Amino acid sequence: MPLFEWCQWLQHTRFATAISESDWLFPLIEGSHILALPLSVGMIVILDLRLLGIAFCDGPGAKLVLNVMRWSKIGFAVMFVTGGLLLITQAGKAYDNAFFRTKLTFLLLLGINAALYQKLFFPKMAEWDSARGAPAGARFCAGVSLLLWVGVIVCGRTMAYQF
Amino acid sequence: MPILPLLQSASNWAPIVFIRDSKYGMPVAESFHLMGLTILLATVVVLDLRLAGLGRNDYEISWLARKLKPWTVGAIVLVMSSGLLIFLGTPGKYLDSRPFRLKMVLLCCAILFHFGVLRRFTAGDSVARPVVNVAVALLSLTLWFGVGWAGRAIAFIP
Repeated sequence: MPLFEWCQWLQHTRFATAISESDWLFPLIEGSHILALPLSVGMIVILDLRLLGIAFCDGPGAKLVLNVMRWSKIGFAVMFVTGGLLLITQAGKAYDNAFFRTKLTFLLLLGINAALYQKLFFPKMAEWDSARGAPAGARFCAGVSLLLWVGVIVCGRTMAYQF
Repeated sequence: MPILPLLQSASNWAPIVFIRDSKYGMPVAESFHLMGLTILLATVVVLDLRLAGLGRNDYEISWLARKLKPWTVGAIVLVMSSGLLIFLGTPGKYLDSRPFRLKMVLLCCAILFHFGVLRRFTAGDSVARPVVNVAVALLSLTLWFGVGWAGRAIAFIP
């Protein structure tokens, strides 16, 4: 079955319509999706700011970053579950929405970016002298991450206006 | 009260009309609002979790509070200025909205609590018992996330 028809089928399953027709379920899921932003993207912003040498650079910054990276996993878990549920209820409408497609592309690039950072730079994080700062490649990853997350938020907010 | 005519004329001001009526004005203004929310609540969460003693605690809370403060203040400026632009587009709609009024009350409480009460617990010389720290952190999180939920409720509850 082609993807578009599959999306439409998904949107009209009993599970999906139960969510979208509920008075409180949809607002609850959508609200959770938005209010998980600080716990997911917000934590990554703190990491990126440190990598870029903008904030949280001195001594304890390294320990703070270990905390926020751990907490961000909870935030992203909430994001993916709530985002998945929202997508199910609107799959047919989201399918050919340019902002949704852009958001997914950005998320894919963010995943690759995070995997690269994890593989190339994270294992040696302890070696970076805080005075010297992060290596150029890690800074590049952090800058890309900040820009793409801004794009994800703008696309996510804008797509809802077109449904 | 002269405030209502003032708000009405502000809602007819060209930049406000542009944001309200142009195709991408509102989504962009709201995106800035969400970016501010992301940074503001991230700084609040990081500080409150440290105060409550969660995570690795091998850094001073006074150091953390000092480093976070400019980001908290900057994010408050961003959410409030973008929020004002959204509000001025249709002030009557927001003033009539019960969740919006609750949001403003909670926002005032959250800001007063953050800069009036929480500060005393994060200055580093606090001798409060751990259970008090946890209660203060919980109250702070409740107030700030309450602002967020009340804001989201504007779209769903009259």
